[in-house]
Amino acid sequence: MTTLWDTTGTAVVQALAAERRTGGAVTSGLALTLVVVLEEKDTGDVEAAVATAAAKHPMRVIMVLRHNIDAPVPRLDAEVSMGGRYGPGESVVLRMFGRLALHAESVTLPLLAPDAPVVTWWYSETPKVIAHDPLGVFADRRITNVIRDSDPAASLRQRAVDFAPGDTDLTWTVITPWRAALAAAFDTASAPARSVTVYGNPVDPSAQLLAGWLSSRLGIYVPVERAEGKYITAVSVQFTDGREVKMTNEGYKLLMRRPGQADTIQPFPQRTTGDMLAEELRRLDADEPYAEALGAVSGMTDLAKRPAVRTHIWVDPALANQEI
Amino acid sequence: MTTTDEHSPAISAGTGPQLPGALQSNPLRDPGDRRLPRVPEPCALVVFGVTGDLSRKKLLPAIYDLANRGLLPADFVLLGFARRDWEDGDFESLAKKAAKQHARTGWNEEVWARLSGDIKFVAGSFDDDAAFDELAATLDSLRESHGIKGNAAFYLSIPPSMFPVVLKQMERTRMADNDASGGWRRVVVEKPFGHDLPSAIELNSLVDSVFTADDVFRIDHYLGKETVQNLMALRFANQLFEPVWNANFVDSVQITMAEDVGIAGRAAFYDATGAARDVLQNHLLQLLALTAMEEPVEFTADAIRTEKLKVLRAITLPHDLANYAIRGQYDQGWLAGERVLAYRAEKDVPPDSNTESYAAVRLGIDTRRWAGVPFYLRTGKRLPRRVTEIAVLFKKAPHLPFSHTDTEELGHNQLVIRVQPDEGVTLKFGSKVPGSMMEVRDVAMDFLYGEAFTESSPEAYERLILDVMLGDATLFPRNEEVEASWRVIDPLEEFWAGQQPAVYRAGEWGPKAADEMLARDGRAWRRP
Repeated sequence: MTTLWDTTGTAVVQALAAERRTGGAVTSGLALTLVVVLEEKDTGDVEAAVATAAAKHPMRVIMVLRHNIDAPVPRLDAEVSMGGRYGPGESVVLRMFGRLALHAESVTLPLLAPDAPVVTWWYSETPKVIAHDPLGVFADRRITNVIRDSDPAASLRQRAVDFAPGDTDLTWTVITPWRAALAAAFDTASAPARSVTVYGNPVDPSAQLLAGWLSSRLGIYVPVERAEGKYITAVSVQFTDGREVKMTNEGYKLLMRRPGQADTIQPFPQRTTGDMLAEELRRLDADEPYAEALGAVSGMTDLAKRPAVRTHIWVDPALANQEI
Repeated sequence: MTTTDEHSPAISAGTGPQLPGALQSNPLRDPGDRRLPRVPEPCALVVFGVTGDLSRKKLLPAIYDLANRGLLPADFVLLGFARRDWEDGDFESLAKKAAKQHARTGWNEEVWARLSGDIKFVAGSFDDDAAFDELAATLDSLRESHGIKGNAAFYLSIPPSMFPVVLKQMERTRMADNDASGGWRRVVVEKPFGHDLPSAIELNSLVDSVFTADDVFRIDHYLGKETVQNLMALRFANQLFEPVWNANFVDSVQITMAEDVGIAGRAAFYDATGAARDVLQNHLLQLLALTAMEEPVEFTADAIRTEKLKVLRAITLPHDLANYAIRGQYDQGWLAGERVLAYRAEKDVPPDSNTESYAAVRLGIDTRRWAGVPFYLRTGKRLPRRVTEIAVLFKKAPHLPFSHTDTEELGHNQLVIRVQPDEGVTLKFGSKVPGSMMEVRDVAMDFLYGEAFTESSPEAYERLILDVMLGDATLFPRNEEVEASWRVIDPLEEFWAGQQPAVYRAGEWGPKAADEMLARDGRAWRRP
C-alpha cells in the first residue's frame, strides 16, 4: 500500500502504476471501475461490501471522501493498494478537502480503467439531483441507496423525478429474492392473478417497489398494507380460479402457504450489502423492470425512454448557502 | 463487458417447459429481467445407487449447493433408492455428511433443515418387483403431499450392466411414462454409454424406448464446465476469431486431457475399458466437436447438437493406423516426488493386462472448413500434471521480412483454451525482445477465469442437474452423437486388439511413439 499526503492526481496515477508493476499485475483483467462516494463514518461498511463484490467482479475501486468544502486550502490525500482489505482488486482511496471536493472528477477521470464501464455508488447520501455531482455524470451505471436518507420514501420519489436509464437503487436489489419466489409461484399458476397484496411497512421503499413491480407486471393495483415489521412481511396472491398463495418472511426462511397443500419453506438468506453490490455489478446495462416498478410507485410513465446521458449542472454550495 | 452470471443465461433455452394447463406465459417473467434466477418446476429427483461414490462426492453436494443458491423449486423431493436396510433418517444423515464434506458453497444449517424434510428413501434391490411398486407408490403419494405434480427425473448412478433391469422395472411400473404421470419424466445416464457401437445402439434403443428420446439426458460432465461453454461464446460472439478458424489459417489442433492419478480403485472397470473408451470416445470427441462445429443457426439444444453431429460424422481416421493411433501403458516411475506403481502392478489389474492407460490419435475432419487440418487428440493417466486444454495452432506467416536468425524463437501463433485447471484462454504470438537488436520471440497473453471472475464457478454437476430439471438439453450429447463417436473409436479398438501397448514411464508425457507421431508430421506436442 502506498499512502500519499497532500498530493496531486498525477502522483496518484503514478503510484497506482507502480503498485501494479510491483504486484505483478501487469496484464489487465479489469471488468469495470467502481467509484464509491461515501462519508468517513461509513468506511467500515463500504470496505466490507467492496471486498465481497470485488471477489466476484475484477474491478478497480475508487473511493471518494469529501471533507469540509469550506476549508481554505484545497488538499488531496490518497491511499493506493492492490489486494488487501478491499478485496483482490485495485483500490484507491481519495480524501478531498476544500474546493477540490467540487472538482472530484479532475482526480478520478485519469484513474478510470481504460475502456471499462464505470459504476458510481453513493453509499452515505444520495444526491438530490445526480447531474449536480460530476462523479455521476461520467458513470455508465449509477447506484443509489435511499434507505440511508432521512426520508427514504420521499427520496425514492425523487429518484423517479431524477431518473435516467442506468440508475438503480439498492432498495430494489434487496427484493430480488422476493421477486424470484413470486415468479416461481406464478410458474405453476393455472390462472391469472385477481388480487395481490404486499404486507409490511407502507413507507418502506422496498415494499413500495415490490408492489410497484407487481402492479406493472400484472396490470392490477397492488396495495401495501400495514403489518408488523420494518420492511416486507408477507405477500398474498389470489388467483381467478380461486387458488391462493401466501408467502411470509419468517426470518431467514420464506414460508409458502397454499390451502390444500403442505406448507413449504425456502431459505431466504439475509444478504449483505456486498452481496447486493455484487448483484448490481453483474449487469451493467439499464434495468428496465426497475424503471417500470419505479414508474408505478411514482405514477410517472416512460421512465425507461428518458435520455441515458446526463449533463453536469454546476452548483456551488457556497453560493447556495448565501441564497438561504 | 464481462460479468459473472451464475444463473448464466448464455446457454439457456427459454424458461423451461410449462405444465399442461398452466398459464402460457408467466407475467412476472421478463427476458429483460436478468436478476431472477431460473428455478425448475416442482419435481422429484430419484437417484438409483444413491449410496455410491459419485452420488456422495458429486450429486448430493450439488443438490445442497443448488438449494443454498435458492435454485431448487419450493416443492422438491430427493428420493434415494438403494439396497440398504434404511429409513429416511439414515439416508438423510448420509446425505448430510456427504453434502457437508463436499459442498462448494458454505454450510448453512437452515438450508439443510429445509432440504432434509424433502429427503426420502426406498430400500430394495433392482430385481425386486415389490420395491419398485413401492417406489412408484411413493412417487404418487408425494405428488399430493409435496406438490411435485408428477414431475420426476431419474438419475441412474449405477453400473451400465444394471441399466436393463432398472429400465425394465420402470417400464413395468409405468414410472417413465409422461402421460401416465401427468408431468414430465426424465432420465439421467452417466457414461459409459456402451463399450462399442452395437452395445451403444442397444443401450440407446433400450433407454429411448422406455423414455422418449427427448427425455434422456446423457451426462458428460466436461460439457458443464464454464470454459467449454465459453468456447462457444469465444467463437460465435466475437468477430476476431471466426475468420481464421479454418484450414486456411489453422495448422493443426491439439486436444489434451492428462491426469496425474492412476486408476485408483477403479481397476475392474478401467481394465475392461481403457483410455480410448473411457475418455477419447466421450470427452475428447465432444471437445473436438465443439471446437470444429459450424455456427449453430440459433442457440438452442437442437441446433447445437445438429452441428456437433455433423462434425462427428465427418471425422476420418488415418489410413496408417500403426503410425497415427498410439496407445500406451504406464510403467513404474516417479510422479510429483512420489514413487508410483506400474499399471500392471496396480491392485486388481491382471499382471499381463494389455489395457491402455494412454491413447493418442490423429483425426481429420472432412469438411470444407477443416480439410487437411490434423486434429491430434491425446489422453493418459500418470502424466506429469492434471490438465485439459484445446490448443489451436495457426500457420506460420507465409513470408517474414526479418532475417532467419531474428525469428528463430518464433513458433506457431496459438490460441489455447484451458478447460481445467486455471480455466481460461491464452493467446500466444511473437513480440520483439526489448533491446537494440531485432529479435522476435513468443509471448503469451492470458485471460484467467480465476483472475477475472474470482468467484468459484459452479461445479459442473450443479449446472447439469439444474439443466435436467429445467429440461434444457443443450449441454447433453444426443444418442446419435454417442453412436457417431463409437464409429470413430471402434476401428481403433479393432486395430489395437491383441497388440501390446507402448510402455511409458509414469511421470512422462506419454510413450515415445506418440512424440514420433507428431515428429513425422514435422510438429511437436505442446507441453500443457
